[in-house]
Amino acid sequence: MLELALFVLRALGYALILLGAFASLAAAAGFHRFKDFYLRLHATTVSAVWGCVYPLVGTSLVALSSGELGESKWIVAGASFVAAILIFILAPTGTHALARGVHRSRTAHVVPFVEDALDRDLCGEGYGSG
Amino acid sequence: MMESLLLLAIAAYSVSIAATLIRALLGPTLGDRVLAIDAATYMTAVLFTLFSIYFREPKLATAAVSLALWVYLLDVYVAKYLEKGDLGA
Repeated sequence: MLELALFVLRALGYALILLGAFASLAAAAGFHRFKDFYLRLHATTVSAVWGCVYPLVGTSLVALSSGELGESKWIVAGASFVAAILIFILAPTGTHALARGVHRSRTAHVVPFVEDALDRDLCGEGYGSG
Repeated sequence: MMESLLLLAIAAYSVSIAATLIRALLGPTLGDRVLAIDAATYMTAVLFTLFSIYFREPKLATAAVSLALWVYLLDVYVAKYLEKGDLGA
């Protein structure tokens, strides 16, 4: 019974790790396909939550269910889980602060520029074409 | 069988980190570079824990925590620099 539970934990952990590997490949493709800063925010958040939080929980489960690591499996599992929680809290916060700073400093150039409800001056002529 | 899955994940993460760092070098503005460095650092944190399972070395996994904290600091400092023009101590 315990062996079955350990196998289920291990399979779940590897499934999460493979999901994260696929998501990080998709995010790396997104960094080269998206055209401007505000679209690349999406690639960053995909790589943060799908590509980092879930596989860190997965490595925690794999480390807990493996007998090869010995007593040090608790170190790997705990460090992975703490890193997953930290990234789950800090990654959206940091990305939001960066987007706010870029919007206020007007450094990101969006080519079809139609409407900005926060700053109407950004919609002027000549800005969007640059 | 499970070990080969781990190797596959390590290969996928390495390719993703390389492709993201290319965007960090090319990126036209400072925001693009910082976003790419963010994503590459998250992937590096996962890669370190995968290495610690593959090589059975528990000390490698603790690096993920400090990487997560470091990249948040980079985000906040760059946002403050862009908004105010200096770091403001």
